[in-house]
Amino acid sequence: MDSKTLIDGKSVDCDESEENISEFFMCCVCLDILYKPIVLACGHVSCFWCVHKSMSGLHRSHCPVCRHPYHHFPTICQMLHFLLLKMYPAAYKRREVQILEEEEQMGIFSPQLDGSSFESKQSSVLSSPSNVSSVPCSASEDKVCARMQESESGFISQDRVRTSSMEENNLPKTNCDGTCNEVSITDALCSACKQLLYHPAVLNCGHVYCETCIIVPEDDILICQICKSPHPGDFPKVCLEFGKFLEEKFPKEYALRRDAVEHRRVQLENKSSTACSRNASENGVQSLFLPGDEFPTLQGKDGSMVHLAVGCDSCGMFPIVGDRYKCKDCVEAIGFDLCGDCYNTQSKLPGRFNQQHTPDHRLELIKLSDFTHNLMLGIVRHLEDGSPFLPQYAFEDSEDGSAALESSVAQQSSDDSGVAPVSRDTGNDEDQSNEPSSI
Amino acid sequence: MLELARVQKELQELTRDVKVSGITVKPNGDSLSHLIGTISGPIDTPYEGGSFLIDIVLPDQYPYEPPKMRFITKVWHPNISSQSGAICLDILKDHWSPALNMKTALLSLQALLSAPEPTDPQDAVVAQQYLQDYPTFLGTARYWTEAFAIVSTLGIEEKVQKLVEMGFTEALVRNTLEAVGGDENLALEKLCSS
Repeated sequence: MDSKTLIDGKSVDCDESEENISEFFMCCVCLDILYKPIVLACGHVSCFWCVHKSMSGLHRSHCPVCRHPYHHFPTICQMLHFLLLKMYPAAYKRREVQILEEEEQMGIFSPQLDGSSFESKQSSVLSSPSNVSSVPCSASEDKVCARMQESESGFISQDRVRTSSMEENNLPKTNCDGTCNEVSITDALCSACKQLLYHPAVLNCGHVYCETCIIVPEDDILICQICKSPHPGDFPKVCLEFGKFLEEKFPKEYALRRDAVEHRRVQLENKSSTACSRNASENGVQSLFLPGDEFPTLQGKDGSMVHLAVGCDSCGMFPIVGDRYKCKDCVEAIGFDLCGDCYNTQSKLPGRFNQQHTPDHRLELIKLSDFTHNLMLGIVRHLEDGSPFLPQYAFEDSEDGSAALESSVAQQSSDDSGVAPVSRDTGNDEDQSNEPSSI
Repeated sequence: MLELARVQKELQELTRDVKVSGITVKPNGDSLSHLIGTISGPIDTPYEGGSFLIDIVLPDQYPYEPPKMRFITKVWHPNISSQSGAICLDILKDHWSPALNMKTALLSLQALLSAPEPTDPQDAVVAQQYLQDYPTFLGTARYWTEAFAIVSTLGIEEKVQKLVEMGFTEALVRNTLEAVGGDENLALEKLCSS
């Protein structure tokens, strides 16, 4: 059934029109319903693989929508994942089958979200379990589950679902008080204030907070209150699509939350400067928490190595800049790597690609020789100019190849020269950001 | 592996709003990796009234890599090669984003026709003319549009030549043109779908 819907584009549309998927949850890359959604620091959402395939293994990546630069592959947003699974079980199931098929071909797998990890992390937060895939429903959600099962089995016959939902007076897209609908407010609570998310923003670890609930310690790194992992990169921007969806779904509650938050904001502002997220973003201090925006150059601050096309399985830094530790015991083709910071500080989470890494695995420091490093940098520079990938050409061409090599050597000897590529990069970014609007 | 599902969705979307956008994309042959797009010349430009055919090749990595686009219709424009139809446009090169698609790329080409960028030329001769002798540039561009892009002015031989340039055999082209009463676009459609 599912595989049939995959191949035939038209029957896919039928299923999805039945489930009436909100435009907010369409991935801009694959043009399908989001699957294992990832929210970037700029607030834009894409599927796990759509984000990963859009990333560059050579230098920092840019958001497909707004070209906002980023350097860390965020973790899947489990809240959105389970929300989508609950609302659109048929379409989500179809995507699961389709992606699994692709993953089997590639031999690389995305993380499995069975709900148990989400459950354990969220159990303290949520009053009733929000996960429907593996955990029996609580009394308050029985109705929701019943409806879900119906639509799951009923996606063979569209009419049946429609009539049954009519009878229950439980139409999708009906905004009621939020408890009798397909999703309830308990599915979209802030990790900090435990209320309905208002202006949801997602950290690199995938946990969702109200924008105003993200408190940044003065001159310190933003740390997720739930998983304690640091949030690298820019202060997360509000995920507008998710916010708009919540506003549409729970208009009354959202309005109440808006009033409350705005009220508190006024109070805070009267009390003068508290380290409030709003202040930070209004002052335009975007890269407060990135220890130097020079990171995204091809070289670390102190001329440290860039491990091309290798990502950190803990914080998601891709490519790894600085020390790289590779697991000697993981058998998966993609391997398991950590950046220096994560090796020293972080608990060793399971890998980003479902690797079976355990804490007793041995890690080794990977060193690149200067020669290899310079060689790779030379090639990267060449690639950046948009030329085709021709390694020998990188050396024969005296203008490009050797210049790139020389400049990379020069950068290693002096930190300051590393500024040049950054400014060039940002110049490009400005050009780029204008581009989509002019289309 | 080309993501066929996405390409199919794009084509559906294009078909849906063809009346608004005036942009069409049709597969060239059986595979979805080679297509032909059509854009109309923007109003108040020397390209007005013209219908421009774009050769589109989708690489296997699409949409993570840009589509390869080239003008089939000859056009006199600083950023488009008057010889090969090669296009100089950043979003088709290093400024591509996977959130863009064939429609947005073709719309960008339309915008490029309205707003040439002679300081970053693809065709140096055209760019020089644009900068040094703008009236002559306008005249030439207009003449090229009328000669190559306005369908009704095309003689049958030119239509044949144009379709043959797209990779169809001459005999097939002549037969098809005859079958559709000489309408070049209909003929192309038929050739593509056959």
